[in-house]
Order: sequence, then C-alpha cells, then structure tokens
Amino acid sequence: MKEITNKIKETATRLFKEGQVDIFMAWTKGDLPFQTKPYFARSVDDVDNIIFDEYSIHNLSGTLLKFRDGQEKIGIVVKGCDSRGVVRILEDNQFQRDRLYIVGVCCPGMKDPLVAMKNYSGFNNKNSAEGIAAKCLNCTTPNPVIYDEIIGEEQPPHLQGERFEQVNALENMSYDERYKFWADTFSTCIRCYACRQVCPACNCRTCIFDEMKPQWVGRENNSTDNMMYHLVKAYHMAGRCIECGECERVCPVNIPLMLINRKLVKDVNELFGSYEAGMKYEEGAKPALSVYNVNDPDNFL
Amino acid sequence: MKILSKTRLENVFNKLNETAEVFVPMQRGEQSGFYPWQTFAAGSDKLWLEALNVYLPPKNVVFPQTERMYNIKQEGQDVKIDETYEDSKSRVIFGARACDVKGITCMDDVFLTRGYEDSFYKARRQATTIIANACYAPGIACFCSAMGVKYVDPEGADIIIRDIGDGYVWETITEKGEMLTARIADLLEEREVTLPEPKPFQQDVNYDGVAEKLKGMFEHPLWDKLSQTCQNCGICTYVCPSCYCFDIQVKMYGNEGYRFRCWDSCMYEEYTREAGGGNPRPASKERFRNRFLHKLEFFKERYGHPLCTGCGRCTVVCPAGISIVKIIDAVKEADTDA
Repeated sequence: MKEITNKIKETATRLFKEGQVDIFMAWTKGDLPFQTKPYFARSVDDVDNIIFDEYSIHNLSGTLLKFRDGQEKIGIVVKGCDSRGVVRILEDNQFQRDRLYIVGVCCPGMKDPLVAMKNYSGFNNKNSAEGIAAKCLNCTTPNPVIYDEIIGEEQPPHLQGERFEQVNALENMSYDERYKFWADTFSTCIRCYACRQVCPACNCRTCIFDEMKPQWVGRENNSTDNMMYHLVKAYHMAGRCIECGECERVCPVNIPLMLINRKLVKDVNELFGSYEAGMKYEEGAKPALSVYNVNDPDNFL
Repeated sequence: MKILSKTRLENVFNKLNETAEVFVPMQRGEQSGFYPWQTFAAGSDKLWLEALNVYLPPKNVVFPQTERMYNIKQEGQDVKIDETYEDSKSRVIFGARACDVKGITCMDDVFLTRGYEDSFYKARRQATTIIANACYAPGIACFCSAMGVKYVDPEGADIIIRDIGDGYVWETITEKGEMLTARIADLLEEREVTLPEPKPFQQDVNYDGVAEKLKGMFEHPLWDKLSQTCQNCGICTYVCPSCYCFDIQVKMYGNEGYRFRCWDSCMYEEYTREAGGGNPRPASKERFRNRFLHKLEFFKERYGHPLCTGCGRCTVVCPAGISIVKIIDAVKEADTDA
C-alpha cells in the first residue's frame, strides 16, 4: 500500500508540475487509524497529504459531478468499482473524457471506515465484521476498466460463491413474504438520501425526489412514501448500476440496497443481456434501457 | 440512596408501560435507537442501556420525523379544517444521555420560547418525562463537555439514573419526575453506594470564542476547503439530537387531504429553493456553511448556547469523514486578518 501511495503521489506531483490537472482527487488520513476520507489536492503542496491504504474505500467518481459545469482538469484515483463509476458518468454525458486524468489502482479489497467507526464509537454493538468490506466481498471488477495509467498488479475478482445467491433467495420467497420483507426494511429508512448522493449513477441535475411541481414522491416518512422512493430509485438504476455498493455502505440504517440493485442487474442480464454496466467506455454507447430496439422483449406489457 | 436493581428494569418498563409509551435504547437488527418498549421483541432486539449511546437520538419522541397536523376538506368555497392531531399521550424516554437531553432542551428553546409556542411540540413535550442516564466514560467521538453539556449531571432531565454495575442510582429531579417515581417506588430499594469516578474525554475540543470569531467569517475561504468533500446527504442532520428543521406540506386526494410536517435538512437543494426557482444556497459550500454557522454561531447568538451537544454522531456516520470537531479547530486556527 505504501508503494501505491508513493506512486500516486509521484503521479500527482508530476501532473501538477506539468499543469495537466487543477485538482487531484484521492484520499487522506483522519485522526483515527481507520479514518481514511476523500481528499482533493489543489497544488503540489497538498500532495503529501494523499494516502492510499486499506481503508480507501470511498468511491470518488460521484464527486466528479461537483465539477461537471467547470473547466478544471481533474486527476482522479480509481479502483475497479470507482472506474466503472467514471464510465457511468462519461456514458451519461456528465463529463468530458479529456478533462480527466485517471489513475487506476488494482484493488486488493478494502475495509470500511464506517464499520470501524461504528464499532469503536460505542453507538453500535461490535457486530459487524471488520475484515474486507461487504461490498468488496461481492466485487467482480477489482481492476480499473478505464485509466490513463495503472498502478499495482492485477487482482482476481474477490467474489467467492454465487453472485446472485441472495437475490435467488429473495425470488424464492412467496409474494407476501417478499412484500413483508421490503415493507419492514423500508420502514427503517430515514430518507437522508445518502444512497442517492453517493451514487455516480444518480447524476440527474434535478432529481425526481426534489421536484415539487408536481411532487412525484411525498415527503412523509411512512411506508408508502419510503417504498415509492426506493422503487423509483431502483428503476432508475436498472441497467445503470455499476455495483460499487456505496449506497449500501453509507446507509446509516443498513438497508440492503445492493439486493435491489443486484436483482436489477440479474433481470437486465436475463432480459437484455448479457450486459454489465460501465465495463467499457465507448463514445456514444448507452446502457441497455436507454436504447430503443424493436426486438426488445415486451411480454411484461 | 434510591437504587433500581437491573434485574427489575423490565418490571419498571412494564409498570410505566401501563400508562405511557416507554422509549428505551435498543439494538434492533443493525440499528440502534430509542424504540417503544411494547415493540420489544426478545429474540431480535437487545435492550441496551449500557451502550455509550444509540445511533438514532430520541428527538423523534417529542418531534417525530412526520407528524400530521390537521385534515382539510374543501366544501364549495369553504375549507373545513376538522381535526388537529396535537398529541398529548404520556411518553417516557428512558436512559437518554446528557447530550441527547440537551438536544431536546435546545428544541424547547426553539419551539417554546421567545414569544412563540409550537402547540404540536408543546403537547408532546409536556407529556414526556425524561429519564437521563449519566455518563461516566466518554467514547472516542464524544466532546459534549466542550459544548457546555454536563455529562455526569444531565440538565433538563426529570430523573437521572447512574449506572453502578448491578443497578442504577435513581435520583428524582423535577415534579414530573416525582410523579413517575411514585408509580414505581415499590420497585426501588434503599442502600448506600459509591458512585464511579468519571473518566476523561478522549479528544480535546475548545469551543471558546468560536461563535464570536465566526461572526466575521461568512466569506472566509475556509468554507470552500472544508465543504469540498461534503456530499450533501442528510445523515448528519437526521442523526443529530438537536437539528430541528422541518417543512410543512399538504397531501390532497380530490377535495380532501391533510397537512403534515416532516423533518427537512439544510443539506438538501430543495430546502432553500424559492418560489421563482432561485436558490440562495445552490451548492454544497453554502449549505455546509449554513449548517455549521447555525450550530456554532447563530444559535448561540439567539439562545446563549451552541446547537451542537457534542454527541459525536455526525462525526461517526459521515461518509466523507467530515467532523464538526475539525471545523471548530479550523475556525480557531483560521487567519481572519485578510
């Protein structure tokens, strides 16, 4: 990890000196050993604060949206999942490729500072495993799929076992059981929208959930409005979710959001596949459900 | 001293539950928060009074996330308002920490003082008895003392309990507390015990002079720097024991409907959106700045104390690792001569 950090720093220093970037997005260290957080270096002087360690889990690609209207050239460090987020944002025409300098890092799997923080803060029982983060244990793409330079040795996928195991279990439930499961789960949602804010696929300028005229989704925290929020969000993810798992990771009430997203990945694959979102950037390419094709199945109509 | 043995806790909850909804700290699945005792499920829930604190504060007991206010019916040219939902059902918050009790007293300032009384809040608040659980061992994220909170002697509580291992010292503070104590008096025992020695805080925070210094820092470049990684989700505001912003909205079905209020967050774009479409806080910098100025400056100017109670929750849950402690430090260190 130290070696990777040094290489990232070298690259950042070079890019700043050559004037290739105005901002360099990576991570830095907080006070506690497990606190690694997003960091934007703005000059050579900031480069020393950059770190890449076992807690550099935060997907920085969504943060690019803060700069989508600007002119700044941005250097960004991406792991496998983050790089798919970058592809998502490029494919959705939210950023120009030539404004980015992408430093790819082959990811050995990360730990989650939020889990560690919760465990040590005293706010939760130490009931979450502190090893490799849940989202990384489901990772199929540890190596960056888009980059200008790459650091580290290629990693094998971290996913062990069946990718859709939990989805299958859910599909095997009866309709009533499934409804109860989701109704119970969504009843705990506090509507903080962290899942939306952290998501690189949630890049609409005006989100449907913020619209007032008409107000598509009510603001009450009850099962109707909560379910509406999650259903609408899920549909917007169909064929677009790049499976970085950030939504589920940041959720303060632990809603298993990736279960929904993975169900959609499975369905899109079965209906329109094979298709994996954000695996390759090709100018003009669109996700499955953003394309009209007369041969698409319509048996659900 | 009056002592409540831990073996009798459930008896107390059951007794109180006969006449009030009793909110106790629990670990429920992956979450922890204050949930009604009557919903306690022995298999999946864990009563958790020993916790440093639970994840979700008890503010929803007096200020629910969604609260119906009244029903509306349109009849020709008239609008009929048929019912108000002021809720004065008895409630007990059992085992709130000093920081969370302070959060509620901050809301008291807002909703009950300065010549304006919020009748919905007042109804709930008056019917709520608070039993605070004194802290003796602050956690890694705690800094309540720096924000003027007395963690060993929680202010604003009706009763204070102090953990002595096998039981709690039961100290009744207010008249409301007396009434509650009377109901469970036969479950308390009398014995002399030595109270634990409070442990020191694990982080140093110095808020002195911060509110005053912030007055001249609205345009300071530090806000650009501090806010840049903020993702503008509402976690910090919704897990905060003192954040009280709300919105009032209407749901109509044809000629009938209802008006309700629900928590809002200054982190959301919609929060400051104006009727004409303009927005004085268009991006994360402005929203972020407002949140911390409100917490650390504006509230103190108006009510004499900050709106942060030092519980540390926001610093634990922020996905971007933003910490109000670091912001206080940064303000202290900031160069304001320029």
